[in-house]
Amino acid sequence: MDLLLDATLYSSTLRAVTPILLAALGGALCARVGLFNVGLEGLILIGAFSAIVGNHLTGNIWLALLFAMTCVMMFSLLFAYMTIHLKANVIVVGVALNFLALGLTTFSLRAIFDVKGSYVDRNMVGLPRWEIPLIHDIPWIGRVVSGHSPLVYFGLLMVVLLYVYMFRTVSGFRLRAAGENPIASRSLGIRVTQYQYGAMIACGALCGLAGAQLSLGQLTLFTEGMTNGRGFIALVATMLGQSNPLGVGASSLLFGFMGSLSTRLQGMALPTQFTSMLPFVVTLLAMFFFRNKSQLADARRSNESSR
Amino acid sequence: MNLVNQIAKSLLQPLLAILVGLAAGAVAIMIVGGSVVDTYAEMWKGAFGSFYFFTNTLARATPIILIGLGVALAFRAGFFNLGAEGQLILGGLSAALTALHVPGPGWLKLTLAIIAGIIAAGIWSAFAGWLDTRFRMNLLITTLLLNYIAVYFASYMVSHPFMDRTGSAAMAQTPMVENAAWLPKLFQGMSVHAGFLFAMIGTILLFLYIRYTVSGYEVRMLGGNPLFASYGGVRRGRLMLISMFVSGGLAGLAGAAEVLGTQYRFIDGSLSAPGYAWSGIMATLLASSHPIGTALAALLLAALQTGGMGVERNTDVPLEISSLIQAVLILFVSARISYSFIKNRKKARAAADGSST
Repeated sequence: MDLLLDATLYSSTLRAVTPILLAALGGALCARVGLFNVGLEGLILIGAFSAIVGNHLTGNIWLALLFAMTCVMMFSLLFAYMTIHLKANVIVVGVALNFLALGLTTFSLRAIFDVKGSYVDRNMVGLPRWEIPLIHDIPWIGRVVSGHSPLVYFGLLMVVLLYVYMFRTVSGFRLRAAGENPIASRSLGIRVTQYQYGAMIACGALCGLAGAQLSLGQLTLFTEGMTNGRGFIALVATMLGQSNPLGVGASSLLFGFMGSLSTRLQGMALPTQFTSMLPFVVTLLAMFFFRNKSQLADARRSNESSR
Repeated sequence: MNLVNQIAKSLLQPLLAILVGLAAGAVAIMIVGGSVVDTYAEMWKGAFGSFYFFTNTLARATPIILIGLGVALAFRAGFFNLGAEGQLILGGLSAALTALHVPGPGWLKLTLAIIAGIIAAGIWSAFAGWLDTRFRMNLLITTLLLNYIAVYFASYMVSHPFMDRTGSAAMAQTPMVENAAWLPKLFQGMSVHAGFLFAMIGTILLFLYIRYTVSGYEVRMLGGNPLFASYGGVRRGRLMLISMFVSGGLAGLAGAAEVLGTQYRFIDGSLSAPGYAWSGIMATLLASSHPIGTALAALLLAALQTGGMGVERNTDVPLEISSLIQAVLILFVSARISYSFIKNRKKARAAADGSST
């Protein structure tokens, strides 16, 4: 019981959840315009690497963040071009992008820093920790909520902002319409392609930040393949949250909590494999209870069998 | 003549893709300051340079071919089975546990272990198919989720109840399977094992099945146009369960062959670390789900990977040059649909111009 009341557990949850949350929000945007983004993992990895490169080149944390966002946006632009203009299969391009990211980052690690495995630089500045003035002094809550990197707060803010955007603005409504029924939206004069590009690029920016939090948030280092499946967990969070920002936020928090709990439970009676497995089981169950669409309707809408 | 043309046309695209991939690789090599010719020479040597390296490539291609075939069958039927990783691991785990705990002579253990691997992975895969047909849960998502569950389950099994406690090193692995139950090596001292024969036989069987049987035709019809197939009386649910079972079974066979032919025990993470599952999926995509093409593409990817190790050993260019080339290759191929698309658009535009004048 002591364990569940420990403030550091929740504080580490917030930290662990941020990369997943940011990427999952990006994935939700893509899913809303009808692009199922399997490449999140690769985009985060590129973000993590380019954040380190940006930091190394400029020595300024904010420029590094900007650099990471720009780099990942270029890759998501490539993704968008191939899927929207060249009509390549979204899943295929996503899988290829993951490979490209893994190969490219490891290769560039050797090419730029001339190291293998991981790169650490003590002189590099990590993301600052923000102590929030009033909240910091509240006994338990202060230790949980205060003292995180700005990206942690940005992620939480984005949940609300994206929710408002998607469900309370005209543009957001059009974005959802573009994904829901592209043909009908086109006939109403909605520029579907523009919305798709916009969503992909925004997803790139969010994944860039997710990667930056990963490589600059806690420790300033980059390791080969350091995303370690987080992109896929983000994808699962997107699906569990039904691409609704609030839902995505809640499911990301659940996954982050499970992650922190499983590291905490190491060495105790319960094997960690089961706590790590739990998010995926929960998602399966959630899919079971929230299923609604029929496969024939899906096939009819996309006019192809591969889903 | 027509046939020759057709074959040339179908080969042109993959060859072009390989050229583009190699060109991209050459750019990367130049950036790190290596010699392009030397690096590619080393890569060739690492993959095919000697009989030993060649068999090495074949050994690496074995699981990729088997997985690719399974995925190809599912893709042909229109099902995106991304669960190869979990199926591979469950196949390997069940094979190892069966070989360890079933009494009897070696050949019986070996046979039962392989069958157990196929069945366990097949059921795991068909479960995702069942969720789709019975509860309409999207197959692509469920197979992705089931991957993780299988990976963690296998990791638990070998780090708790079935862990090898005989050795001094506390590694998450099962004890070693006894010598008599190993898959024989094809050549003395070489790494390629009898699993490669399974892959070859599987390729031919799948090719014949898809090409010449009624059920193979149904699979193609279902993949090509599900509405037409259901109109024509194809029972989607039944076909889905069967094709998913076979698809997963092939991945399970890959895992079983890898465990019984190369590692002789199930080591946690040893099947997922080399990326066999995703390589198999890539091979299928490269060959657009043609069985023989898939086998060739798998061989190509395996050659790139073993060749990359040769590059790593003998030059300053890192091993990851292969994954770069692979990714560019696959990106290029995935845009293949675009050619016909652009062509169609041109045609449409021409037709529109023709009608307006």
